Amino acid sequence: MAEPSGSDSLRTSLGSLQLANPVLSASGTFGSGWEGRDFSPLSRVGALVSKTVTVRPRHGNPPPRLAETPSGMLNSIGLENKGADYFLAETLPRMRTLCRRIIINIGGEAVDEFVELAERFCEAGVDALEVNLSCPNVQEGRLLFSTEARMCERAVTAVKRVATVPVFAKLSPNVTDVTAIARAAEQGGADGITAINTLIGMAVDWRRRRPVLGRGIGGLSGPAIKPVALRMVHEISRAVRIPVIGVGGARTAEDVLEFVCAGARAVQVGTAAFVDPAVLVSIVEELARLLAAAKTTITELCGSLQAPIPVAPQPAVAPISFAPQPAVAPRPGPAGQAEGR
Amino acid sequence: MQTRLHTVAAVRDLGGDSYALEVDGPVPVTRPGQFYMLRTEHRWPVMLPRPFSLYDRAADGSRGSFLIKAVGPGTRALVDQKPGERVHLTGPLGQPFSAEFDDPVCVAGGVGLAPFLLLARERKAAAKSPLRLLFGGRNRPSLAGMEDFEGLARMSMSTDDGSFGLHGRVTALLEAQLDRGEIEKGAVVFCCGPDPMMEAVAKVCERRSLRCFLSLETYMACGYGVCNGCSVAVQGERFKGWPYSKTCTEGPVYETCELRHDAH
Repeated sequence: MAEPSGSDSLRTSLGSLQLANPVLSASGTFGSGWEGRDFSPLSRVGALVSKTVTVRPRHGNPPPRLAETPSGMLNSIGLENKGADYFLAETLPRMRTLCRRIIINIGGEAVDEFVELAERFCEAGVDALEVNLSCPNVQEGRLLFSTEARMCERAVTAVKRVATVPVFAKLSPNVTDVTAIARAAEQGGADGITAINTLIGMAVDWRRRRPVLGRGIGGLSGPAIKPVALRMVHEISRAVRIPVIGVGGARTAEDVLEFVCAGARAVQVGTAAFVDPAVLVSIVEELARLLAAAKTTITELCGSLQAPIPVAPQPAVAPISFAPQPAVAPRPGPAGQAEGR
Repeated sequence: MQTRLHTVAAVRDLGGDSYALEVDGPVPVTRPGQFYMLRTEHRWPVMLPRPFSLYDRAADGSRGSFLIKAVGPGTRALVDQKPGERVHLTGPLGQPFSAEFDDPVCVAGGVGLAPFLLLARERKAAAKSPLRLLFGGRNRPSLAGMEDFEGLARMSMSTDDGSFGLHGRVTALLEAQLDRGEIEKGAVVFCCGPDPMMEAVAKVCERRSLRCFLSLETYMACGYGVCNGCSVAVQGERFKGWPYSKTCTEGPVYETCELRHDAH
C-alpha cells in the first residue's frame, strides 16, 4: 500500500463517525474536557467523551471514593453529575468549543431513562452516544444492563430506536463471557462496543476492619487492568462485526497500538489523564511518530493480531480466536469504508 | 496552567523525616494554601501524583519548595531526589486561604506548616505585622521548618512530649492565648495539619465563636477536577445545595461551618 503520510495514518472510523485519530478520553476520567483545557490543545484529540450524564442530578457516593492500588486505583464515585438539564445548558456548549468530535456518555437505571437522554442529546446535536451499561458503583453493583444479555439488548434497542447518531455500548468486564453481552448489544443495533469498564474490586484497612472505600467496593482502573482489557477487546472484536473501542489501562501510544492490534478501532485513555492532564495530546503526537517508523496505519494495524502459538480450546472457557496466519490483516480497507463490512 | 518538569535544586533535611524539596523555576505566582501535584520524572514507584502545598517561593519565581514528610513510597521517592534530577509539577491548583482577613491566627500541625510560609512572606512584603503562628507537633523533630519562619512570624510552639515549647497539644496553646487575651475576640483562625488536630482546633474555635478555615488533605487522583474522588461532604450557599465539594478545585480550604460530619 502507499506510504502512509502524516496525519492520514491516524484516521479511523466508528461506524459512520470519522475520526482524525483513534485517541479518545474515557468517560469519567476527564470531566467534559473543560477542566483540562489549559493543559493541551484538545482539538487534537480524536474525540472527547463526557463523564456519564444521568437524567436527574446524582450526588455520588460517600467518601472516601478513591484508593490507589498497585499499578492502578479503585474508585467509587457513583456517577456524581448535575443531571441532563445542567449538562445541556452549561457543559455541552463549552465542550463543543474544545473538540470537533463530542461523544456523550449516558447512564440510566431504567430503559426509559436511557431513551430520554438519547433523545435529548441527539436533538442537541452530538456526534455519538456511549451508553454506560456498566457502572459498578450504582444499582448496588448489580450491573443489570451489562451482565444480562437480554437486558443489554433491550436497552440498546430502545436507545437505537430514537438515536440519530452512532450508539456505542460500554460493557462491563465483570461477566463470565463478555462476547455474549457484546453480541446482544450488536443484536440490539449498537454501532460499536466500548470495552471495558472497571473491574469490581475492594481495598481493606485491616486495622480498622473496614473497607477503604466509603461504599465498600469500587471499580479498578489503570495499567493493572490492561491485560484484561486487551484480552476482552480481542475476544469481542472476533465475536461481533461492529467496531470496538478499547479502554482499560492505556497510558502510552504503545499501549494504544496494542489495543488497535488486538482489534480496537479507537482507544480511550482514562486513568492516565489523572496522572498527566496533557496525556491525550501527547499520545496523539507519539502515535504519528510510531506509525511512521513502523510504516503502517491505524486502519492497517487494526485487528492484525496473529496467534503466537495454536491455542487449544480449554474446557469451560471460550477459545480465543486469532487472525489467520500469515500476517495478513483481515479487515482493513481504505479508511472510511471499513464500517461497510 | 501546565504540567512542567522542574529541576531539583536541593533537598534539605529538616529532621523528623521531613524535607524541603527545592526546585528551580519558573514557579508561578501561588497564593497561600494553593497546591501542586508532584511526581518524579523517573522511578516513580506509585501511579498517581501527590498533592503538596507550595511551601516557599522566591519573589521572582526562580525557586520554589515543598515541605514533604516521607511517609510512603511516593513521598520517599520525592525526597530521595538528587540535585539535577527532575520532578513533574502541575499547578498552582485549588483555592487559597482568603485574603480578606487581615491578621489571621495560623495554627499548624507537623507538615501542615507548609501553606503558612508564603503567607508570612506576603505580610512581610506588605510591611504588615509578623504572621501569628501556633505550631504543634508530637516532638521537637516534628516541628520541622520552624527555623524558616525566623524574622517572619510571631511563633509559639507546643509538643505532645514536652521536648520543645508548651508541653501539650497546639489546642492548649490556642486556648491559653485566648484566655490571656493575646488572641482577640473575633480573630480568624487558619489551620492546617492532621485530621484529628484540625478537628480539635475546629472545636475550640466553635466553642470560642471564632471563624476557622481548614486546609484539608484528602486522597486525590487528578488535582484538577476530573476524578471526583477527593470530594468532601459540605453544606452552605457556596455549594448551591450540592452535598459534596471537590477538594482540588473548590478547596482545599473550607470554613469549618461548610463541612458536614454526618456523612462519615
